[in-house]
Parts: sequence; structure tokens; C-alpha cells
Amino acid sequence: MASVTSAASSLTFGLSNTALQMSQSSSGLGYNLVSMGGSLSNKTASFPSLRSRQRSRITCAAKAETVEKVCEIVRKQLVLPSETVLTPDSKFSALGADSLDTVEIVMGLEEEFDISVEEESSQNITTIQEAADVIDKLVQKKGEAAPAASST
Amino acid sequence: HRRLPAVIPTPPVSASPFPNPKSQYCCLSRNFSAALTPLLPVQLPSRMETHLWYVVPDEVKSAPLLSKYMELLPQSERDHVLGFRGDQLQKSALLARTLVRTTIARYQVDGHLDPRSLRFKRNIHGKPEVEWETKDGFCPPPLQFNISHTSSLVACGVTMNSLIGIDVEEKRRRTKNNILAFAKRYFTAHEVEHLNAIPDSELQQQEFIKLWTLKEAYVKALGKGFSSSPFNTFTIRVNTAAQESFCASSGIAVETLDSPQNLTNNWQFALLELMGSHYVAICLERQETGGAGKAFPIKLTARKTIPSVEDELVSGTNAVVTIGGSVTQF
Repeated sequence: MASVTSAASSLTFGLSNTALQMSQSSSGLGYNLVSMGGSLSNKTASFPSLRSRQRSRITCAAKAETVEKVCEIVRKQLVLPSETVLTPDSKFSALGADSLDTVEIVMGLEEEFDISVEEESSQNITTIQEAADVIDKLVQKKGEAAPAASST
Repeated sequence: HRRLPAVIPTPPVSASPFPNPKSQYCCLSRNFSAALTPLLPVQLPSRMETHLWYVVPDEVKSAPLLSKYMELLPQSERDHVLGFRGDQLQKSALLARTLVRTTIARYQVDGHLDPRSLRFKRNIHGKPEVEWETKDGFCPPPLQFNISHTSSLVACGVTMNSLIGIDVEEKRRRTKNNILAFAKRYFTAHEVEHLNAIPDSELQQQEFIKLWTLKEAYVKALGKGFSSSPFNTFTIRVNTAAQESFCASSGIAVETLDSPQNLTNNWQFALLELMGSHYVAICLERQETGGAGKAFPIKLTARKTIPSVEDELVSGTNAVVTIGGSVTQF
């Protein structure tokens, strides 16, 4: 993935559906967004309108944060050694989750994100990414249903 | 992607049979170039019988033996085994595939005894089945099987004709979530009541595990996948006078929520305590009933095995204790 950054540190997530690369500028101005195949060109990425930048930042942060939280919950449930590397593609079953673990993970996610996952949807949750996708969809639906209380 | 390398002339002795991605060698020792000991045939279960086979992974320590087991599997299954993270998970996955292949091969259904030649497929809902070769008018027998495994136990149930589902779990398995919160979310009201009525938290935990394994076994027997039978759409009922917990004479039945007054008579259950450490739940499609809708007890033969090494008939010993359902052990 191309990167427009000279950041000392960068956070890259292999999110298959968003393909966004987040980086923290060294001046600490927050996030510069580089979208692959999206509507933001490299130039406008540095100077997006305040509103779209914030909305993008929130969406981007939500997905990364979601993945992080899912990882946390999976680690806890499966009592994974700290050296176990988790990626969005990591399969629960390959990590040793049986059906009881998977249901407990889903329950943990429901509590963490205050959502309700239908049993049918929970069948589709086999990887960390899939969990994050289902969560983000449900959280978004919740947000749309409630009167808009968008953060600034 | 990890694959078993070809036999290398001087492999170092290794504790683990599983190829370390950083190392070029795995333990395909030259000393064990002979094939596994030929499998001893066993008689097919009769239509009224259920065979239970199990392996205790901790008792299978020989790395060369595990390598030989790996050789029984087609590449796709080897890849699947190696996809698990860590030796222990890989080992129980390997033993599960080995147990299924060697057990079914031993029944010599088509006159063969080669576990390698068995092919498996999944039905439209994902339940694994044997794909028999149909040649020269060979009519495959209605052999049914189901596997379940934890890191400490691998089990396979086999019947002739009866759909079967089995589930195994460690007795001391603890849920991370509070049991009643979990049950309220995923079980039915009756089951929540049943658990709620148990004052001792240790016993309550065990009852929860028993219910879980029975529910799993039912869904696996149905073979239609978990999404077609969410756990809160059917109740496992235990018929005892006390109604407080399972005991050996308790009948276990399933009742689906869409026909509440109509206890589904199609399915019968057994709940066993294995080696004092595990619960094994078995759900079978009922073949025939005795007079007035009464079911025959499940005729169970249980064998502990190390594939290609030894079998031990354990039914009727205290290694296999019936704690629910109507079971006769042979």
C-alpha cells in the first residue's frame, strides 16, 4: 500500500474491506488519511474539509478500535499467551475456540458494544475481522435508529 | 504454508512431530519406515447399537506414531491440522481425523481396511459424511458417525442407520461469563429455571455443562447446522421426580418451542461421565419404540483406543458411568 507519511510510527491494519492506512504524523496533528481507490487523493488527504476528515477519522478509528477490542475479548476468552499474534484474519477455531468459546466471545462482544447479535449472524463470525464487521454494522444501525447525537 | 517435507535421510530427533516452520525437519524417523500396524477389523454395530470410541491425547506421546497418523491423512486434512495454533491443538485435531478414519476403516464396510482411501464430504448443511465409492452395484451401508473433541479427549460415535450427534466436554470447564446470564441469553426459560434451582455453584456449573453438551449433541445429530436450531428454540427436559439434577434413571427428552406440548419422540439421549473427568452427550434418532411409545434403552459399547496400537473395552466399567438417559452398556 502507498503511504504518504514520514511518521516515526505508523499503524497499519490489513482491513480487507476498507484498505485504509492510518498514520500518525510526527507533529502529532492526528491522522492523515490515505485512501486506496477512494475519493480522497493524496493531496486532499492532507487538507480535507474539517467535517469529512472528522467523519472519516471516526469511521476509521471505529474499525481499528473495534478490531482491537475484539482481539482483547478473544485473548481473554481463549487465555492466549501474550506472544500469540492476532491478525484480522485469525480464525477463532484455529486459536482453539470451540463452540462454547465462540458463543462466549459473541456474548462478550454484545456486552462490550451494547448490541445484540442474532444467532444466524453469529454463525458468520469465524474470524476477528468478521466479528468486527458484524459489530460495526450493528453499532451503525443503532446509531441510525437513535436521534443523531454526532460527536464533533 | 506449512507442509510435511519429504523424508530426509538423517532427521534429528525431535520432541514434536509437527514441522516447525523455522526448521527444515520433522520427525519422520527412518526407524519407523514400516507402515503402522495393520488395523484390526471390528464388527459393525447392529441397528440397535451405538459404538463409542475415544482417544486420550495425553496418552499418545510417541512422535513417530503421530507422524504416521499424519501420513494417513490427505493433504487437505494435513493442512487443516497444521492450521491450528500450537502443538496441543494440532495434536487433538490430528487424533480426531485419525480416529474417524481408522475406526470407519476397521468396520471394513466395502471389504477394504485402508483408512487412507476413505473420502469424506459434507452435506448441504456442513455435516461431515463418508463418501463411499459406488462401483459394481455396491450399496453403501447406512453407517453414521459423529466426532467431538476437546484438547483432552477425542471421541467418535458410530451407528448403523441412526443419525447421531455427540459432544464431549471437561467436567470442570468453566464459563467466563456468569452461568445464569449466559443461560438467560442463550437457553430457554425452562432450562434457566432448572439451573437457577441449583443452590451449589459447583453443581450448577456442572449442570450447565451437561445441558450444553446435550444441546450440542442434538443439533449435531440433526445435522442442519447451528443456525437452523438456535439453542433457545428447543428445551432439554429431564424427567425425574426431583427435577433438580440428572441421575442415572432420568429420562432426557427434547422439546421444540414450536410444538411445545409435543415432546419430540424422534430423539433419544444418553449422558455419560467418562473417566470421572468428562461428560459425553449422545443424541440418537430413535429407530423403533417399544409398546406404547416407550423407547428401548440405548445399547452402548464403549472402547478406549490408541489407533493401530491398542483397544480397551470399557463399557460396564467405572470408566463409563451413565448419568442420564436410558442406557445399557455392553
